[in-house]
Amino acid sequence: MPERITRKKAAAKPRKRKKETVRKKPRAKEPRIGVFVCQCGSNISSVVDINSLTKYAEALPNVVHAENMDYPCSLQGQDKIIAAIKEHKLDRVVVAGCSPRLYEPTFQNCVSRAGLNPWLFEMANIREFDSYCHQQKPIEATEKAKDTVRMAVAKARLLEPLKPIELPITKKVMVIGGGIAGINAALDLADMGFKVYAVERTETIGGYMALLDKTFPTLDCSICIEGPKMVDVGRHPNIEIISFADVLKVEGHAGNFRVRIRRNPRYVIAANCTGCGECKDACPIEYPNYADMHLGVRKAISVPYGQAVPLIYTINRDYCIECYKCVDACGARQAINFEQKPEEIEVTVGAIVVSIGYGMYNPEDLKWTGYGKFDNVFTALEFERLILAAGPTGGKVVRASDGSKPHSIAFIQCVGSRDINKYEYCSSFCCMYTLKHAVMLKEKYKDAINVYVFFNDMRSNFKGYEEFYNRAEKSGVKFVRVKLENRRVTEETETKNLTVYGETEDGKPVSAKVEMVVLANAAVPHHTAPELAKILGIPLGKDGFFVECQPKIRPTDTDVPGIFLAGACQGLKDIPYSVAQGSAAAAQAAAVLRKDAWVVEPLVAKVNEDLCSGCRICESTCGYKAINVEKVGEKEVAKVSEGLCRGCGICSSACPMDAITMPHYSDKQILAQVEAVCEKVRESESASS
Amino acid sequence: MPLKTVKTNTAEALTLEWVLHVKNYKLTLDKNRCVGCQICALACPKEAVKLEKQPKSQGEKAKKTKVDVDLTKCNFCGICDILCPYGAVKVTVDGKHVLSVVDKKSFPELIRKIQVETSRCPPECVECEDVCPLELITVSCLTPEGKTVENPVSLTEHEKQGLKTKVDIQTGYCPCCRICEVKCPEGLVRVKKFMHGKITIKPEKCPEGCRDCLDVCPVTGALYLSEEDEKVHVNEVFCVYCGACKVVCPVDEALELKRSGIDHTPVHSGAWNKSLERLTSPVEMTKELKTKGSLKARESAMRRVALKEE
Repeated sequence: MPERITRKKAAAKPRKRKKETVRKKPRAKEPRIGVFVCQCGSNISSVVDINSLTKYAEALPNVVHAENMDYPCSLQGQDKIIAAIKEHKLDRVVVAGCSPRLYEPTFQNCVSRAGLNPWLFEMANIREFDSYCHQQKPIEATEKAKDTVRMAVAKARLLEPLKPIELPITKKVMVIGGGIAGINAALDLADMGFKVYAVERTETIGGYMALLDKTFPTLDCSICIEGPKMVDVGRHPNIEIISFADVLKVEGHAGNFRVRIRRNPRYVIAANCTGCGECKDACPIEYPNYADMHLGVRKAISVPYGQAVPLIYTINRDYCIECYKCVDACGARQAINFEQKPEEIEVTVGAIVVSIGYGMYNPEDLKWTGYGKFDNVFTALEFERLILAAGPTGGKVVRASDGSKPHSIAFIQCVGSRDINKYEYCSSFCCMYTLKHAVMLKEKYKDAINVYVFFNDMRSNFKGYEEFYNRAEKSGVKFVRVKLENRRVTEETETKNLTVYGETEDGKPVSAKVEMVVLANAAVPHHTAPELAKILGIPLGKDGFFVECQPKIRPTDTDVPGIFLAGACQGLKDIPYSVAQGSAAAAQAAAVLRKDAWVVEPLVAKVNEDLCSGCRICESTCGYKAINVEKVGEKEVAKVSEGLCRGCGICSSACPMDAITMPHYSDKQILAQVEAVCEKVRESESASS
Repeated sequence: MPLKTVKTNTAEALTLEWVLHVKNYKLTLDKNRCVGCQICALACPKEAVKLEKQPKSQGEKAKKTKVDVDLTKCNFCGICDILCPYGAVKVTVDGKHVLSVVDKKSFPELIRKIQVETSRCPPECVECEDVCPLELITVSCLTPEGKTVENPVSLTEHEKQGLKTKVDIQTGYCPCCRICEVKCPEGLVRVKKFMHGKITIKPEKCPEGCRDCLDVCPVTGALYLSEEDEKVHVNEVFCVYCGACKVVCPVDEALELKRSGIDHTPVHSGAWNKSLERLTSPVEMTKELKTKGSLKARESAMRRVALKEE
């Protein structure tokens, strides 16, 4: 590294010197720097000797004022800084305190109120980098604080005023994923007057909620409360649903994302399909319906369920035999087109809300559950379709082996979740939906059915949930607390009845003979999440869900400005929280769209086109695809996309021609800091020799 | 959750199943009836049927081609069931033989026209039963009261008075080869082939001593070994144009099979057109379409006439 710096410096010297002399002439007066040392209560002052640090700072060249205060970030503190700037005619400000990640914007704001350019402010971190990590060594910590301040002052001398970059904003927004979170985000944004593109991968919006029978803890009919919202989305003049489509590519930045979408062929012309369903009646072919968890069937031309939005029929060419009976049935409407091809479209939006939801774990590989092997072992979602009146059995809970009504059912919790070999996290809503199933069975069939719940911990920790647990207990559901280990299910070959075995916390074996078993299988990240993460450039966590910017105070932001998260794709959550997060993400997206311009910090790479040789090294090193070589006249030169550049500086250090500079982090400024920190080393070296 | 599918393959049958909670789809291929012809493979709209040629060892007879169905492609539409000349494939839904492609008029049925004038049958004659190569015919002799008479040959002429003959033909499995018709001593059987075409063997192209086609042909007499040149020749009267011979023939040009038409119930369906095109040729398919077109035109003309008269 040092070698590289010297090489660059040597190469750049003659040019820079010339420039400096030119620039220095009008700036005849020396910089006037003010240093403000923060005590941060006792966070800093208990370790660092604040008084000696302030005195030290005052003695530094060009420092005309230095003072220490309790909390410079407080309103009072900020006022003091403003007063000092005016009194001492300061034109550079250094605050020695906490991390610039937290408070740099605050102080930049403060100095600009005093009439200074915000980029004439510099921060010295003496908290995270010093007092926090060297609590046991106050003397050395004070010395380090002095070094840090000296460096900051050295840089401050060379600071130059910068202008923020303003980019135009497209007043449109995209919501990816039409589950309940996405539906709410889309509706909120559309009601605020923004044009919304609601992109849905499957044939219909609605997500998992549309497949459920009831919702806990109120036992409201799920589709009855979601259906109207789905219809609202379909009818809203500001919403354009792009269904049966995949997001292929996202380019650009907040304010201007260019999104490429592929509309997959339904072989039905959306504009002509009236949703009458005559084609479905004419169709001879049936295939397993994924919306029924493959318990029931649908026609080769059909909708997954009656409430589908948009109500456009789709031909599944994997099963269709092309008899064209549907074409005859459709008749003059002429909605069927077997020649339809995938269609790619591009839209530009100012912000994106990601709400792709989750998937369900297939517990076939957990052999102890017997799922896939024993006929009468179901997953919770399969059970949901069984108990649903509009489901394949018309709401009859019947066994797969003989079609009889079971007299006893065992629910097994935490199948795949809370298992370090599968999914370490808790799937969060299984306890509650199991309680819902248990209550529904018990209240419908009373004593005619025995309901067991094999659980480890009952997590009923939101509004009305604990009361719902009590209701389940009162209704006669038998709760059996078992360890997560040593559970298993066996089957009697003749009767196809099942026995569930477990072990209580104190090691006693327990078991129950039942006629049906329902597994609370883990909810897992959506299978398209990894690809979408790549497309959007947002990170996935270790658990496979999208990572929010800050888990506590920015739960719907991503690391990419202008892209927001809603619903279970950020982390598993139940319906009310998905709805709330949908609205939250909508509000944040609206905050972006409502701005007149998207303001970017001026910390983006600057290319000196005269020096650039168009070698494309910068292009290959940029992690944000923000720098591209383009033809300008005769020459090929690197161009920076200001909305995409994050100011990381990799291109600048990689450039062999030294053609790229980073404002606020120029070579000159960094080297001044290096010089400042080496000053003392040199002093001590000369003292010892 | 994933679809539950079952595939079992025994010496007797190949079965494919979709096990759904509310429905059970099952396709059964009876390996004893299957002759390894190419009809199902050609007709399948999903290209789910694969033919697996069986290797022949020196000095042995050629083995019939094995048929395999891809469970990931099959959609249990039942087209193979409809078109199999030998009735080897059965598609059932919940155990019932249901063909919704026929019910919804998406696919025609084959027309197997077999008529026996049993009233004139001599009571002791069982010729048709004996000659049927697939053993699909049972002849029984009944008294006027409907009782079965065992061994009618031993009866006197007087005793034979008033006896009735009943001929049971398992039509669903019959490829309509016409052997019974030709062999009936009284000329009482009428069989109409449902598949038409042309089959030619060029003996000069046949490899020396090859009888593969003859080995696999299920219709005794359709192919025969000529004593003159010791090569296989065709008797087109009996050939049902199933193509079992074509599949095993080792030389491309030696055996030529061209189907020109299939007798079927009226239908207007793209799936049938495609199957027909693959089984015959695009030319034959267009021919059929043209006839249909003229029929339609004639029908509409009739309708107009009827309207005027009113």
